[in-house]
Amino acid sequence: MQTFVTEAVDWPESAPELRATVRALVAEHGERDPVRRANCWTKADPDFSRRLGEAGLLGMTWPKEYGGHERSQLERYVVIEELLAAGAPVGAHWIADRQSGPLLLRLGNDELKERWVPGMARGEVFACIGLSEPNSGSDLASVRTSARRDGDEWIINGQKVWTTGAHWSHFMIALIRSEAGSERQQGLSQFVIPMDAPGVSVKPIIDLTGAHEFNEVFFEDVRLPASTLLGEEGQGWRQATAELSLERSGPERYLSSMVLFLELVRHAEKHADPATWDLVGRLASDAWTLRLMSASVAAKLARGEDPALEATMVKDLGNAYEQAIPELVQGAIEMDLSGDEVLASVTAYLLQVAPSFSLRGGTREILKGIIARGLGLR
Amino acid sequence: MSDTRRMLAEMADPLFAELGPAATDSDWSRLDELGLPLLLVSEAGDGFGGDHVDALTVFRLAGYHALGLPLVDRIVASREEEGTEAHFHLGAFARAAQIAGALDAALAMSVAYVNERQQFGRPLGKFQVVQQELATFACEAAAANCAAMGVAEALDRGDAAFEIAAAKLRANRAASEGARIAHQVHGAIGFTQEYPLHDLTGRLRHWRSEFGGDAYWSKALGDSVIARGADAFWPDLTARAD
Repeated sequence: MQTFVTEAVDWPESAPELRATVRALVAEHGERDPVRRANCWTKADPDFSRRLGEAGLLGMTWPKEYGGHERSQLERYVVIEELLAAGAPVGAHWIADRQSGPLLLRLGNDELKERWVPGMARGEVFACIGLSEPNSGSDLASVRTSARRDGDEWIINGQKVWTTGAHWSHFMIALIRSEAGSERQQGLSQFVIPMDAPGVSVKPIIDLTGAHEFNEVFFEDVRLPASTLLGEEGQGWRQATAELSLERSGPERYLSSMVLFLELVRHAEKHADPATWDLVGRLASDAWTLRLMSASVAAKLARGEDPALEATMVKDLGNAYEQAIPELVQGAIEMDLSGDEVLASVTAYLLQVAPSFSLRGGTREILKGIIARGLGLR
Repeated sequence: MSDTRRMLAEMADPLFAELGPAATDSDWSRLDELGLPLLLVSEAGDGFGGDHVDALTVFRLAGYHALGLPLVDRIVASREEEGTEAHFHLGAFARAAQIAGALDAALAMSVAYVNERQQFGRPLGKFQVVQQELATFACEAAAANCAAMGVAEALDRGDAAFEIAAAKLRANRAASEGARIAHQVHGAIGFTQEYPLHDLTGRLRHWRSEFGGDAYWSKALGDSVIARGADAFWPDLTARAD
C-alpha cells in the first residue's frame, strides 16, 4: 500500500522571476498590520486585487481571449504560495480566481464567459459560492433553494448561508434544486446569479472576532434568464463536487498561520530558549513537508490527473498544522494575549479563528471519512 | 518512474517479501546477485550506479517488508565513510525511507485487519472512530513518504542538510503516531509474538532514534532556521527547489 505517491515537482523556469514580482508588489502594496496578514485569504482589499490584475497575476491560466494570461498551473501555484506566505490581502478576488473563473470557463456559455471572466482577470469583479443552507452544511445534498422554470426564465426562491464575501461580490454560483420533488444529489443545477438582481438580499453574519466575512443570502422570486444556468441542467451535484475536490490541496490549506511562525522565529532570534528552538524546528519540518505534498498534488492536477485522495490528505494535515501553530506558540512562550506586542496579538487573533481551519472547505470529520473510503474502509 | 527504477522495484519487492524479517546471513548471496549492496556505488567503481531516488525505492521496500538483513546500512556504508557527518546524514535519509515503507506496510495490515475482524456484529472498519484513526494514520504515512522523497531529490541536487533534518524529524513523528494507531486498531492480537505487526512497529521504534531522534533534528533545524532569520525562511525554502 502506498497512499500518496510523490513525484519530483518540476518547478517552472519562470518561478524565481514570478516570486520576485510578487514579493515586490506585496512589499509596496500589501497589508501593513501583522494581525491582518494572518489568515490572509479572508482579508478583502479590492485595491490590492486590482493591482494584481494589472500585474497579470489573476486569471493566470485562463485564455487570453477572456483576459487571462495562458500561464501554466504551476506558475499560478508559485504566485499563490508567494501571496499567502507574505500574508497578502487576497480575499476579495480569492474565490473568483480560484474557483468561479475556472468553472465558468469550463462549463459556461459564451454569454456568461464574456460577461464575467474578463472583469475577474482584471481584479475588478468578485464572486461568491452558494452551497450551504440553513439545513445543509456538510450534508450538501440536502439543498432546498429552488429554481422553477417559467418560459425562458428561471425563478429562484430560498436561502444560502455562510456565504463568504457575498457583500463584496458581483455574482454567485449557486447550487440549486431545479427539479421539483427531486431528492438528494438528483435534480440539482448550478446558476450564475448577479448579486444586484431584483429579489437578492444579503444580511451580514458577524463572526466571533467581530469581523464581517460571511453572510446570509436570500432569494425572493429572483427571475433569471435561461442562459444563467451553468453547465447541464440536473448535473449540479457532479459539477459542484468535482470543483470542491480540486480545491482541497492548495497552499492556503497550510499557510494560514505562516505569519505567526515567522513571528516565532523573530522572537527566537532575540531570546535564547531551547524549547523555542525545538518548536521552530518542528514547525519548519512540517512546513517543508506540507509544501512538498501540496505542490506534488498541484503537479498531478497540472498533468490532468485526479489525485482526489492525496488532495484530501493535504487538507487534513495542512489544517491540523495551521491550527496547531497558535496553540503551540501560546504553550511555549509567556505572553499577554491582550497586550500589543506583535507576537501576542497575532497569536491572540489566530487562537480565535483557528477552529475554523478544520471546518471551512470540508470539515475534518468529512475529510477523514473520504480518506477512510479511499483506504477501502466503510 | 524511470525504467531502471521500475526494474529495481520489480526485482527488490518480491525478493524482500520472500526473505522478510526471517532473512539470515545465507541470504546475502541473493541480494549480491542483484547488485543491491552496491546500489549507490558508481558504475565506474563496479557498482549499480543508482541515484538517491533509486536508493529511496530500495530503502522503502526494505522497510515495507521488514527485511531481516542490514542491507540498507551496507548501502549507506558503501557510499559514505562511517563516523563522518555525510554518513550520518545519508543514514538519516535511509531511516526516513525505511520508516515510510514500514508505515505503509503497517497501514495495509491494519486496514486488512479491521475489514476482517468482526465485533458487535460488524467489521471493526465500519466504526467511524476506527475509520478516523486509520485516516490519521494514512496521512502520517503519506507525510513520511513525501518527506523521504523530498530528501532523495535534494540529495540528487546537492546540499540536503535542511531537507534531511526536516524529513527525519517528520518521519520520526509519523513513526510514533503510526505505530500507536496500528497497535490500537489491532487490539490484543497485535501484541503477540505470532502476529507480524511487531516486525514493523519494533523497527519503527528503533529507527525513530537511530541517526538522530526528534530532539536532535528539531534542535539542528531550529538552530539553522533561527540563524538565518525570519525574513530568510520562505525565500530560502523556495530557492532550494526552484
